[in-house]
Amino acid sequence: MTAVELIREGLSQKEVAKILEMDRSTVSHYLNGRNLSWNSIEVAEIITKFCPKDFLTLTYALLNDSEKTRVIVKTCSKKSYKASVEESCIGCGLCVDTCLLNAIVLDDLKARIDSDWCNGCNMCRDVCPTDSIKILEVNNGY
Amino acid sequence: MVTNTKEVKGKDICVQRISPEEKRELAYKDDVCIGCGICAKICPTEAIELGEIGAIERTGVDESKISIDEAKCVLCGMCSSACPVDALDLKLDEKSIKDMAEYPQLIKSAEISDDLCIYCKACETACPRDAITIARILPERSKLVTGEIEIDKDTCISCGICEEMCPADAIEMEHHEPTSSDPTVSSDITVNKDKCVYCLICRKSCPVDAIKAVCRSCSYGDYDLNPEDSETTGSSFIDEEACVNCGWCQEICPVDAATVEKAFEGELTIDQDTCEACGACVEICPCNVLSFPEAEFGEQSDKVQADETYCIYCGACENVCPVEAIEVKRTAVKHTPTKSKSWEKQLSELKT
Repeated sequence: MTAVELIREGLSQKEVAKILEMDRSTVSHYLNGRNLSWNSIEVAEIITKFCPKDFLTLTYALLNDSEKTRVIVKTCSKKSYKASVEESCIGCGLCVDTCLLNAIVLDDLKARIDSDWCNGCNMCRDVCPTDSIKILEVNNGY
Repeated sequence: MVTNTKEVKGKDICVQRISPEEKRELAYKDDVCIGCGICAKICPTEAIELGEIGAIERTGVDESKISIDEAKCVLCGMCSSACPVDALDLKLDEKSIKDMAEYPQLIKSAEISDDLCIYCKACETACPRDAITIARILPERSKLVTGEIEIDKDTCISCGICEEMCPADAIEMEHHEPTSSDPTVSSDITVNKDKCVYCLICRKSCPVDAIKAVCRSCSYGDYDLNPEDSETTGSSFIDEEACVNCGWCQEICPVDAATVEKAFEGELTIDQDTCEACGACVEICPCNVLSFPEAEFGEQSDKVQADETYCIYCGACENVCPVEAIEVKRTAVKHTPTKSKSWEKQLSELKT
């Protein structure tokens, strides 16, 4: 429990305003520096620099809470992605069930990925039985 | 990680995928399955395999007609949409995709109009799947004939001839052994007027002319009969699970009360030179399309014959034929529209 809390503190330190807004006031007193282990922040920083899939799955494994995972991963992911679904999609919903960020919905038997939420983990692409998902990293300004 | 689970109950199969978002459940009913293998053809992940249906049908071996590999199945529902007899059903959160507009459905139906049906039961007899039940209420016989009958009990000698002769079992006597206090052989004779059809056989056969009877239907024709009293009423029921939309009911109905719409159009050809008259196709065909002509005693039956009127072009016979003498071509697959290009493509690939 404390480990989970500490990791969340570490992340909060980095994006104080955002986390405060989304996580309400219950964690605010942690942010004033008390009970903080600097070591844990270092760990958290390393985690955010993992490849997107590992960052996401590790965070989810530690928190076991999809809503918190979504907020933290979305907040700490610096890169943006463009996800597209090809016509070969059969609407099986496997990607919907797999996506930890709930970025995918089915629309008329075709998956629709919200690129704003996509963190590029590629897990949907890996499970897709028809190879219909393409995810590209977007480099702003290039 | 979401994974599938499979449950096998007897010959039925159920594959499930449960995630926080939804529960997908594909249910297969073996007793409904006709072994056509369309599910295996349309499955985009090759998760379904058609069994040795010829052997299963003929030996009654305890085996499902299809097998589903739960590791390959992605629960997309294509098999459920394409199954011509609804042996497969995909449910999303307990709701069947057959009730969802975004999923294409085969256009097929069988209906019996209660307005037109005369409850002759021809369809019930002809249905190869025993899917039709006709419940009918017959008119009351006593309302269709009128007349008068009276037995003069003083003249009657209780011989019992009328009782034996009555074709409607309308006359009943109370026979008993005579005693010194009652030296008769019958204590009473009664006519059940609900059963009596005023045929006058009793009157004509009575040796002592004890019966007076007239038939009013004969003398007045049908004037004093209410035509409504002669109508047979009832209701018809088609068991949708058993029905394969073969069209027997439609063809045999004398008043065009049955209408059937088939999902597939096509062509059935049998190569008479190759056919070895083994009969496997005759047994597997769910529509009684195939038969052998009557053979003379002692002679081997002729090659198999087909009446395409009743064919649903499912292809089960083609699958089961050991010498590849049968070809089933599907030229049209009628289904409700879908916006999905991949579904459209997979469904149209059922055409051969």
